Amino acid sequence: MTVYTETQPAPASGPTAAPVVHRMRAVLRIHIANPWQTLILPWIITLLIFGGNAAIWGMITYSAGGSDNVETSAFQSNGGITWIYVYMLIVAVQAMHFTFRFALGFSVTRRDYYAGTLLYFITLAAYYTVGLTALVLLERATDGWWLGGSFFAPLGLTTAPVASVAYTSFAAMLLAFGVGAASAAVWVRWGAPGLYWMFGILTVVGIVALWGATVLEAWPTVWEFLSTTSVVALVSWTLPVTALAALAGYVLLRRSPVRS
Amino acid sequence: MTAILEAQGLSRHFGPVKAVDDVSFRIDEVGIHGLLGRNGAGKSTLMNLLTGQDFATAGSARVRGESPVENPRAIGEVALIKESQVYPEGYKGRHVLKAASWIFPHWDDDFASRLVEDFHAPLDRYMKKLSRGQRSSIGAIVALASRAEVTLLDEPYAGLDAVARQLFYDRLLSDFAEHPRTVLMSTHLIDEAADLFQRVLVIDDGRLVIDEDADALRGTALRIVGPVDAVEAVVRGHQILHREALGGTAAITIDGANGELRAAAVAAGLELAPVSLQQLIVRRTGAPFTQEVAS
Repeated sequence: MTVYTETQPAPASGPTAAPVVHRMRAVLRIHIANPWQTLILPWIITLLIFGGNAAIWGMITYSAGGSDNVETSAFQSNGGITWIYVYMLIVAVQAMHFTFRFALGFSVTRRDYYAGTLLYFITLAAYYTVGLTALVLLERATDGWWLGGSFFAPLGLTTAPVASVAYTSFAAMLLAFGVGAASAAVWVRWGAPGLYWMFGILTVVGIVALWGATVLEAWPTVWEFLSTTSVVALVSWTLPVTALAALAGYVLLRRSPVRS
Repeated sequence: MTAILEAQGLSRHFGPVKAVDDVSFRIDEVGIHGLLGRNGAGKSTLMNLLTGQDFATAGSARVRGESPVENPRAIGEVALIKESQVYPEGYKGRHVLKAASWIFPHWDDDFASRLVEDFHAPLDRYMKKLSRGQRSSIGAIVALASRAEVTLLDEPYAGLDAVARQLFYDRLLSDFAEHPRTVLMSTHLIDEAADLFQRVLVIDDGRLVIDEDADALRGTALRIVGPVDAVEAVVRGHQILHREALGGTAAITIDGANGELRAAAVAAGLELAPVSLQQLIVRRTGAPFTQEVAS
């Protein structure tokens, strides 16, 4: 918001600016002007994947002669729902790729654009968390869709409290958006070569880390950490990574020219 | 007084390419001004610099006294409409107009609706499926209905047919009369738009080569036609922009023609012809200096 002090009186018809909240909201609305790909399509695909899985569970249960003949945990190691997090990463990259030049063309600053975009990502994360959590509640209320299945809260989350499931979902969404925003900023700033370099460097860093863990004989410690730390605590470790990625995105974007 | 638009030693280099090179000017007047030049002369880069979409290599751009870079106060009242605008995936015309209404503080929805009808702009089709002209019509509507205090138009009507272009000029002029603002417009169709312009800036090879009042500019060039010897005698000592010869007849275009030259030419029985803004700019920015036509 523009604040004029007494020593700097407001000019009668000088430059003014809409409050930052107004500008952020405009960017948010630019992102959701056409909600099909980001708000609607993901649910349809999710339900299709779920439907496919449920059909298979049903077939197995039927041929086994009923739920009693199937192991309790048979339908609980399902990674089907992870697709939505990968998709959100792609949504983040796509959204920024398409709207950055458009919004700047409409006289939005990079700072306002990025703030509005992060607001959009947080809104999306909350939207999907609420939806997925509702489905988890339904899943539990129906005893795993009457088949003992666990699609929306699989693996370590099957018996976790609903709040933990929601927290995990929200944090994972934010991570996907954070990494997506950073990748998109690299793309906007340097194009494809930037992404090649980024993934090249990340691969090298990853290999060095694996080597390091091997040489230092740290693997037992790593496994112990992973197996003794709760899912919720592990998820919390992603928050600083997310914050760092989001910050990196801004640092890159604030000096990005609009290329035609 | 603070200039509405100002550049001082403004440069943007891409490696060895000097897209904009040491450009200085200031626009103080509310009015419609032309930014002209050949393809690749640096018009779009200059407009990007003036709106903070690109970063200057050297020098500075100012909008109402402030840097446009990351400055919502400076660019909040600026609209840059360009032919090369990229539209988000899944956007239809109506999304573009809605987005414009959220962003531009003086957006006029009724005016936009009237323009949609005038231009027959398709609002329910995806932007990427539209023809160049149809996309331009959406851009033209945004340019007019946004009523931004500073409106920069970069080839706003590429692909529009003559009827739609005339419509654009008419609407621009009539709306400008009611809501005066500063418009800087780049175009290839110089003569068509020439009557709109109050000031003309011409950029060539990244450098500002002309910055003059449009009327004064039109008066500066003169085409003198007559027998070669008589024409040559009259124009001696003047700056020749262009020379054509056909048999014994010569047509020489003079820059900076004054009353004395006119009088001398009339006295010598030579024919004087006005030079259009387009011819003048073509002559000044690129056409070969002489063009001999075989006799």
